[in-house]
Amino acid sequence: MNNRRITNNLDYVLIGSVMLLVLIGITLIASATHANVPSPTRFRFVFRQSVFVIINLMLGFFLLRFDYRMLKSLAKPLYIINIIMLLGVMLFGRTALGAQRWLQIGPISIQPSEFAKAIMIVALASFVDKKLPTLDNFRSWLPIFGFVLVPFLFVVKQPDLGTSLVFMAILLGTMIVCGFKKKYFLALGGISLASAPLMWMVLHEYQRNRIRVFLDPGLEPYGSGYHVIQSMIAIGSGLFFGKGLFSGTQSQLNFLPENHTDFIFAVAGEEFGFVGVTIILLLYLVVIYRGIYIAMHATDNFGTLLAVGIVSMFTFHVLVNVGMTSGIMPVTGVPLPFMSYGVSSLTTNMLLVTLLLNIDLHPQRLRFD
Amino acid sequence: MLNKKYAYRLEIMMAAATVIIFILIGRMAYLQLYKGTYYESRAEGNRTRYTRIIAPRGIIYDCNGEVLVDNKPGFMVSLARSGEGFKPEIIARLSTIINMPQDKIKKMIEENSGSAEPIRLIRNASPEIVTKVEENIRFLPGVLLEVQPVRTYLNKSLAVHTLGYVGEISEYEIEQGVYKELKAGDIVGKFGLENYYDKYLRGTDGSYREEVDVNGRVVQIMDKVNPIPGQSLVLTIDAKLQRIAEQAVDRQLHAIGARACAVIVMDPHSGEVKALASRPDFDPNWFVNGISEKNWNRINTDGFHPMTDKVIAGEYPPGSTFKIVTGSAALQEKKVTPNEMIFDSGRHPLVDMRNAGGEALGWINFKTALSASDNVYFYEMGYRLGIDAIDKYAADFGLGKKTGIDLEGEANGLIASPAYKKKVFEEDWFLGDTFNASIGQGFTLATPIQIAQMLSAVALDGKRYKPHLVKRILNDDGSLSKTFKPEAVGNIPVSETNLKLIQEALKAVTKEGGTAASLNSLPVSVAGKTGTAENPHGRDHGWFIAYAPADDPQLVVVCLVEQGSYGAVSAAPIVKSVLEYAFGTGK
Repeated sequence: MNNRRITNNLDYVLIGSVMLLVLIGITLIASATHANVPSPTRFRFVFRQSVFVIINLMLGFFLLRFDYRMLKSLAKPLYIINIIMLLGVMLFGRTALGAQRWLQIGPISIQPSEFAKAIMIVALASFVDKKLPTLDNFRSWLPIFGFVLVPFLFVVKQPDLGTSLVFMAILLGTMIVCGFKKKYFLALGGISLASAPLMWMVLHEYQRNRIRVFLDPGLEPYGSGYHVIQSMIAIGSGLFFGKGLFSGTQSQLNFLPENHTDFIFAVAGEEFGFVGVTIILLLYLVVIYRGIYIAMHATDNFGTLLAVGIVSMFTFHVLVNVGMTSGIMPVTGVPLPFMSYGVSSLTTNMLLVTLLLNIDLHPQRLRFD
Repeated sequence: MLNKKYAYRLEIMMAAATVIIFILIGRMAYLQLYKGTYYESRAEGNRTRYTRIIAPRGIIYDCNGEVLVDNKPGFMVSLARSGEGFKPEIIARLSTIINMPQDKIKKMIEENSGSAEPIRLIRNASPEIVTKVEENIRFLPGVLLEVQPVRTYLNKSLAVHTLGYVGEISEYEIEQGVYKELKAGDIVGKFGLENYYDKYLRGTDGSYREEVDVNGRVVQIMDKVNPIPGQSLVLTIDAKLQRIAEQAVDRQLHAIGARACAVIVMDPHSGEVKALASRPDFDPNWFVNGISEKNWNRINTDGFHPMTDKVIAGEYPPGSTFKIVTGSAALQEKKVTPNEMIFDSGRHPLVDMRNAGGEALGWINFKTALSASDNVYFYEMGYRLGIDAIDKYAADFGLGKKTGIDLEGEANGLIASPAYKKKVFEEDWFLGDTFNASIGQGFTLATPIQIAQMLSAVALDGKRYKPHLVKRILNDDGSLSKTFKPEAVGNIPVSETNLKLIQEALKAVTKEGGTAASLNSLPVSVAGKTGTAENPHGRDHGWFIAYAPADDPQLVVVCLVEQGSYGAVSAAPIVKSVLEYAFGTGK
């Protein structure tokens, strides 16, 4: 496929929304990392994020030439690489915030779990695509559950509750579109509820604590509840129009922790106000709509399954991250797509958008140029 | 495409996503619009800190401008409150750094829970603690090191009973409403002039509002009200003379093995107190940061009560110094003439009461009787006057009543009277009681400052002035705020002729053959009187009182040595040292 054909057929609404979110994100990272205050490292985060935006744009444009169906053949090796990578994190990972999530490669520390999400989407789509004709009763779904369960357990072990739940969200999206029966959903829901106490026992103490604190942030105003309280103060005090860029007292005076990564949305709330966050949330809605649209119009099941996985992941991320910063979801360390600082997450998300565009660009397998 | 049967499920996903996004928008509306002002004030509370700037207390100068009491910068360790309270781990960390039990910190937090100000944990931290806190300040968000003025007494214990000391306001003082505008932890004068002139010295605190970051570091000062320093006091005290007096006292106490003493040096023309010393003493700096247990025990277990200013609160039998009163009364009431000769056989004919040393002086006139301090002669005067007349004159000389010096805690003293004896001991008054009263023994009690006022009146031919310690009050900029003029408190009703005779007799005391002939060597002529006060609890107390120069009185000096025995031996050398310095040879 040549460049012209690509540029003529791109979904510019999707691209525009994502790029707006990325730019708003960089602006907020600048604010959250005090790029307005002179210091030798003032532009470090903004610079890195911007560089990777450009790299990813170029990489994405390049990848659009190839048909996404090539991924089918890559699914199995990717799945294995994924497991090896997660194993690597377990063995050599750097601990941050009580969890092993980082792998140091040269100057860059990457978060394999971010890429693991993308790989999971691709591998699962490919696996389910093959199984589709036979999918019917609950039993026929068991291999699929097992397929997700292996990497899921590795991630849980890290421990990274956020990523493991993303896997579940991707699986859930797949189950919905693949006709998993309503009665099974109800049964699974019942089993989950019944096994909640068991889950509670499996959770790490800090994870339990986060859930406890989520239910009552005042329980530990300086422990894990502190983040949420400060984040809610930041958002709430933004009022209708916000305090203005670089003017949020909560973010500028560091009352808001992790403000350029997981809590970037609180900076948006404080500095851009209700108007700003509403625009941001609507932009996400546009991205989700376009993703589902692409899923609907994909010309093969693989494309639909990929798009559904991507959309499920984005939706879940937005829900959990924004919910967490505004105090209606527990703190799970899930970044906000396109906006949170973080090379791994940014790259993963931009490549997934590229994949959506690719599905959109390659409607038929056999087409004569 | 997937099974067409389930195509609707993508639409459900779309609807679900829409619902999710709008729930989140709704949540934003709740936080930012509905609860916005609440969170706004929380954010404001996070970033602003209100701090009081403690006004420095006024400086205390001596009459020559020497600084006696000043302020030095001290570091205060305090804990700023944030919107959320206090992190337990910070308290734990701070506790080890400043060596204060966590429970104590928590208790202080609790006690100050009503106030928006930082909690002051240590008022004047030691350099080691300041260094430790400074080094760890970034691990101690909310912990502040504030510079504040700390009271310092430059000469340690010098004139401590006059200057006094400061300390934290007590709960009792707050409850009593003594200091309406103050609250727990504020510094007030506790004793001496610091206490008496507290409202002048204290000044008005200022304040500032600061913007702080999460670690409590100041980003900017939002507004500031400067403190108004307290007014300064210029004392009547002469520090050099004070030093001489205290050195003389310490020397003498050491030499004779006594521990307690009171000295006052006063200008009779004005009532200005030039020196005032009491022993035992203590260092007022001990109290500035809250007194240590060791020092407190040292003060508290001392049977001679270092905290009592014996010049104004020590009540002693005036002994023979009271013969001035009896003598003045007898002359004025014409119970005796200056030249009448009375026979001292060593004992009074009516009651068997004798001279202290058992001596008998034979035929003596008034002047000899007073200068030689003959008891028998004054028993006779007492007999002729009667106790009521003696008491009237005692009151005229200012005994039995506070002098009104500008210090708290002055004692009244006591004028012996039949009514008093009846009331307290339920016994009748006998002639022997009158005899005792006439030579200043028995029930009569006087403070050294009352005796000083009495002697001043004699020196000034009857004029009495109220003793005082403060000459002027100065504003912060050095301008004059208030001057204290000599305050006359009336004349004693004794004629000048009679007082001249008393003066002559007192002059003879320090001459060859007088009871304090040792003062004869001074370059000025000194009028004086010795006294020995009987002490039922131990050795007698020794008095020596004097004024000089005898013909143009500039200074009155009164000294009492507790359990010092004869005044001529114990107290007179102290008075002599003071006069030596004041009038030239001591330098």
